[in-house]
Amino acid sequence: MTRRNVAATPPSASGVGREPGLLWFAAPSLLWYLAFTVGPLFAMFYIAFLDWKGIASAPKWAGLSNFARMVSDPRVGNAIINTVIHLGATLPVMMILSFMLGYFLNLKLPGHRILRVVMFIPALISVSALGMLFVAVLGPVGLVNGILGAFGHPGSAWLANSSTAMPALIAITIWAGAGFNGVLFSARLSAIDPDIFAAADLDGAGHWQKMWKVALPIAIDYFGVLTMLQFLWTLFGSAGLILILTEGGPGSATETLSWLVFRFGYSDSRVGYSQALGILLFVIGIVGLLTIRRMLRARY
Amino acid sequence: MAEATGTIDRQATAFRSSAQAMPSPFTPGIIVAYLAVVGYALLLVLPLYWLFVSSFKPSIEILSQPFVPTFTSGVQNLVEVWNRLSMGSAMLNSIYITSCSVVVTLLIAVPAAYGLARAGGPIAAIMERIYALGFLIPGFAALIPTLLLAIKLGLFNDREFMILYLPASAQPLAVILLTQFMRTVPRELEESARIDGASNLRILWSIYVPLVRPGIATIAILNFIGFWNEYIYSLVIVGANAQRRTLQVALPTLQGNQGITDYALVCAGTLISVLPVFLIYIVLNRRMEEALVQGAVKG
Repeated sequence: MTRRNVAATPPSASGVGREPGLLWFAAPSLLWYLAFTVGPLFAMFYIAFLDWKGIASAPKWAGLSNFARMVSDPRVGNAIINTVIHLGATLPVMMILSFMLGYFLNLKLPGHRILRVVMFIPALISVSALGMLFVAVLGPVGLVNGILGAFGHPGSAWLANSSTAMPALIAITIWAGAGFNGVLFSARLSAIDPDIFAAADLDGAGHWQKMWKVALPIAIDYFGVLTMLQFLWTLFGSAGLILILTEGGPGSATETLSWLVFRFGYSDSRVGYSQALGILLFVIGIVGLLTIRRMLRARY
Repeated sequence: MAEATGTIDRQATAFRSSAQAMPSPFTPGIIVAYLAVVGYALLLVLPLYWLFVSSFKPSIEILSQPFVPTFTSGVQNLVEVWNRLSMGSAMLNSIYITSCSVVVTLLIAVPAAYGLARAGGPIAAIMERIYALGFLIPGFAALIPTLLLAIKLGLFNDREFMILYLPASAQPLAVILLTQFMRTVPRELEESARIDGASNLRILWSIYVPLVRPGIATIAILNFIGFWNEYIYSLVIVGANAQRRTLQVALPTLQGNQGITDYALVCAGTLISVLPVFLIYIVLNRRMEEALVQGAVKG
């Protein structure tokens, strides 16, 4: 939404009342932002070419050796596969569910206010609280096993079992994101002219058709923007959740690329190598963004 | 902006009443959808309800009667986890970092937005483009280089580095959103002040700031939630030292000491950590939702 507004109000190009001197007001903010956010990002592209065995030791120039090692590292290959599984299972399910949820909320049926409040709750919870909540919910004596126990099922240590750890991570990611995205979709859909839906009603369209044939094409750009943001958040943000839930385990069942960047750079003190992986993550991010934008572009 | 939403609301109301003129909105399809949405809502609420009731019972009851609000152990779990994690000082650290960071964010973003909104010209457009690119930089990407920067500055393990870093990470959204608000202020308002010889700073403070207060509130709320909930930078840069760590860093240390996790304590600790944001949500409900929806582009 913000983006649309930016496009709608171009900087006063007409030149009426322009005061270039006022640009100095932006200097502290811009310098601050460049120094602490953009600067470190650029530094990544230098550090990736260093052999740096930890914060305390002196770095040596390593050329492309970090990248060469990356290509043949089976742990990286495994992390790429896990990242693809995590994204592939999370994104389509979450975006389709939340679009349907947004359409539903926008019908403003009785009770929609309270539903909206509930959908918002996960957006208020920090990664560490989310992680600890599910450590407890999925733990050996947690909520899920308590419910299963009532039906005489022995239950399982969901996060410590290599066949259920990744599905659990996927489920938690969807749990935490679908409701909030649904509320965002509902805000976008409420800006659609009701006459358009009324016309579809006259043509005898049901909700299912209105949802996919009317609402989706109109809001496809917004669908694309939210998908891109969710993609970035899932791709880069999985490290925090994994750190609390599984630390990449059991074995390497939940090692994603973002987790390896954190693990190598922070715990294992392989700083240069970790940043080479960081560049790989960054490239995947850009390729993914461009792909999503191509797929979800307005076609009218 | 508020006016536009008002129109949309009215149109939506008109649409709704015309829909109600038809037989009933509850077709079989809608009933199925309603049940599915309520099911999902229960899936969201259930773990939190369980977390709440589990915080007030001994571990043994958590498994045997998960949903019964027994309140057997009173506030014992809460007191124990509070002491074991030194949550008092963790809470103070979180308050210190969050409030200073919100203040710094606004102190640099408000003048920047005023400058960009009023200066115009190609340089302002380029600057705005640079901020917009910031939306696409996920916070996590530069974690390790930022850690190195903290070490270089001699601020490793210091809370103060977070007060430098967090406002920087918040600038793109804050500046762009506030610039939009500033553009809606009519130029005529400041002309008489200018004739009276008021300085730019004076005009910003006494004309613009009062008029863009909703935008400032939005940014303050968004950043309060974001800064309060920040985890991985706080962990890596400030560290887990019990005197300096934030609430979010303290909480996960409950897990797996010698492989044993006391779930009653986990529930109690998590409850304490989410309580501040939830309490504020109860008070600021509508405003907070609007803020989160407006700021969603930042993700």
